[in-house]
Amino acid sequence: MGSKRLLFGCLIIGIFSLLAIAAPLVSPYDPSSIDQAGLLMPPSARHLLGTDGLGRDLLSRIIYGARISLSIGLIAVGISVAIGLVFGAVSGFYGGLIDSLIMRFVDIMLCFPTFYLILAVTAILGPSIFNIMIIIGLTSWMGTARLIRAEILSLKEREFIQAERAIGASSSRIILRHLIPNAIGPVMVNATLGIAGAILVESGLSFLGLGVQPPTPSWGNILIESKSTLGVAWWITVFPGAAILTTILGFNFIAEGLKKKIG
Amino acid sequence: MAVFLFLSAAAALAEDYGDAIVSASIGDARNLIPLLASDVPSSEVAGLIFNGLVKYDKDVNLIGDLAESWEIRDHNLVIIFHLRKNVLWHDGHRFSAHDVEFTYQKLIDPKVKTPYGGDFERIKSLEVIDDYTVKVTYKEPFAPALSSWGMSVIPRHLLEREDLNTSRFSRHPIGTGPYKFKSWRTQEKIELVSNHGYFEHRPYIDRYIYRVIPDESTIFLELQTQGVDSAGLSPLQYTRQTDTPFFKKYYQKFRLPSFAYTYLGYNLRDPKFSDKRVRQALNYAVDKNEIIGIVLLGLGRVCTGPYLPDTWAYNPKVGPAAFDPQKARELLKEAGWADSDNDGWLDKEGKAFEFTIITNQGNEERLKVAQIIQRRLKDIGIKVSVRVSEWSVFLTENIDKRNFEAVLLGWALPREPDNYDIFHSSKTAEGQFNFVTYKNEEVDRLLTEGRRYFDVEKRKACYQRIHEILYEEQPYMFIYVPDGLSVLHSRFKGIRLAPIGIGYNFIDWWVPLAEQKYKVVNPNSKFKISN
Repeated sequence: MGSKRLLFGCLIIGIFSLLAIAAPLVSPYDPSSIDQAGLLMPPSARHLLGTDGLGRDLLSRIIYGARISLSIGLIAVGISVAIGLVFGAVSGFYGGLIDSLIMRFVDIMLCFPTFYLILAVTAILGPSIFNIMIIIGLTSWMGTARLIRAEILSLKEREFIQAERAIGASSSRIILRHLIPNAIGPVMVNATLGIAGAILVESGLSFLGLGVQPPTPSWGNILIESKSTLGVAWWITVFPGAAILTTILGFNFIAEGLKKKIG
Repeated sequence: MAVFLFLSAAAALAEDYGDAIVSASIGDARNLIPLLASDVPSSEVAGLIFNGLVKYDKDVNLIGDLAESWEIRDHNLVIIFHLRKNVLWHDGHRFSAHDVEFTYQKLIDPKVKTPYGGDFERIKSLEVIDDYTVKVTYKEPFAPALSSWGMSVIPRHLLEREDLNTSRFSRHPIGTGPYKFKSWRTQEKIELVSNHGYFEHRPYIDRYIYRVIPDESTIFLELQTQGVDSAGLSPLQYTRQTDTPFFKKYYQKFRLPSFAYTYLGYNLRDPKFSDKRVRQALNYAVDKNEIIGIVLLGLGRVCTGPYLPDTWAYNPKVGPAAFDPQKARELLKEAGWADSDNDGWLDKEGKAFEFTIITNQGNEERLKVAQIIQRRLKDIGIKVSVRVSEWSVFLTENIDKRNFEAVLLGWALPREPDNYDIFHSSKTAEGQFNFVTYKNEEVDRLLTEGRRYFDVEKRKACYQRIHEILYEEQPYMFIYVPDGLSVLHSRFKGIRLAPIGIGYNFIDWWVPLAEQKYKVVNPNSKFKISN
């Protein structure tokens, strides 16, 4: 069961990633090309997924949007895993005062409602793709840190670590070569879910106008327009929504599959 | 039989009292003291609570409001207002000339943060001749003098000892108008009740409810459940979503010329925009008709200057320039912008031509306009970014501090064409309206002259020339004058379309008893309907 899900998830994400990478080759139109004669056209042979209120091809916009949404997901989670690994490993390995300090800091960070924190920070720094990646990364590492710390707390009492210490290995060698590689499994599961979460946050931010700025399409900011055209052009709501849904589902399948494999 | 017929016909014609009107707005009011109400929601609500000395009638002529009549003397330097004698403030106190004097003192008081003081600075003196006569003397002829007295009058007996800027009165106003203030729940609704002793006559509609619904689409959903009686529509809603049997049955739709225009303002202190040829090129590169077709779905007109089409100040001979990207490229080339490194973007002295358009959040039409401009300027090699900013941040950080390259904004236009505050070179300080820093000596002179003459023909010559110069110089890219689109529930009768719009005779609107929706329970009854 686990491997089937894993496979299915990889397939979905694989397809979206390929589309994102090959966007200029596969998208039928320029995603920002405006066409006064083709406003709000329903799906047809010319425009497979229809057009939006500026006459832009929705399929092309969703394909280009995949680039933005997926890369935000990956990079934001990359940042959060990196931070989480460092804090978690240091905290778990050294214990004592350092552990207490880091964990209290984690507790403080967890107190903030993340989405509102992100909203406040984007409002101050100004919205851009780069800022969004960093902000999501900086506000979502706490789970990873706790996971790593818990794993390391149990690992460091195991015999093979005792043996390493006995032969005089340095702390950094023990952390980097033995503890982290053995603790990384659950983190990967967590990270996969994190990508899905980051994509949702980006969509939410863009939907509120604080995310990716026009004309760059992202799935979230395509959805903004659908709000005012809901009664007239269902396709602008349904297709980007479906793209977000499928991708999140894909990442969740991968995460579950991984969990089964590892566990 | 004949008598009976006559009676029933008369009964059908008589207006009924009662019911309420629910009006929807995206933004909440901020301050109900008319001198401090600078935004549309505040002025809309305050407009029902207060009166000025004069007002516009349905054909946009000035008629008396609190003033019964007036005399203009001494070559237009003196106006003597004769005030109505039967007017009471909502608290029962009698209205008199001292209230007018008090309002004037507050308007010119530098401590009061009013944006409307400019029109009253040219007054040499204001004398109270008797309780119902006011004499205003001007230092020099001032054409907008009479219309400036449309400013609402505030009560001296309540505000004499108050600091207007911080007064509690801003949330509990007492005026002379057709409606009395009842309650205000912030970001939710403002409720007014009719003033039975209003000097014209008691308004037929008993209550006015101003509901704040911060999203156009949600307002539209409320219309579909008849939760809202009156609201504005987007062009898309007007053309594609309101032709249903439901809307035809329950709502009346209006499409009226609006008194506003949308423009792209350049920061003229920015060296990129200091060359007139560059600004002209941008104007040639953007097709206004395309924007009107896409954004307004055709429901608007091309704008060529700061005056409304069909008014006397408007110069019909000005523009609009044809859409001509080739000409735009040539002009840019003359100004030194060319693609010397063949990267597709124009550059000059090693710097690419790029700039950011900032506009306010929540206005979907403006965001679309920005994206079309962005695309069309990309076609001629100019790189434009679009940034959307929250309204109050936008005004304080970008507009007031002149911290922008180009802004996409609109001006709501008064009926009086005098736009000294917007284009005169003396109005460029922080917080003033000439935020693009436009300076032109001839325009300065014409603006000063235009407000000094009373003869419409002479003024017309000034303003039409200003119109011509502004289009030639392009401190703004003038984009469009949108049509005002709105709906009103069909149970309201007595609406008379006129050149000024529909709201001017609001106190004459009424709802037949049988169709009334909001019934007031007898306040003396000991039973209350619970919800």
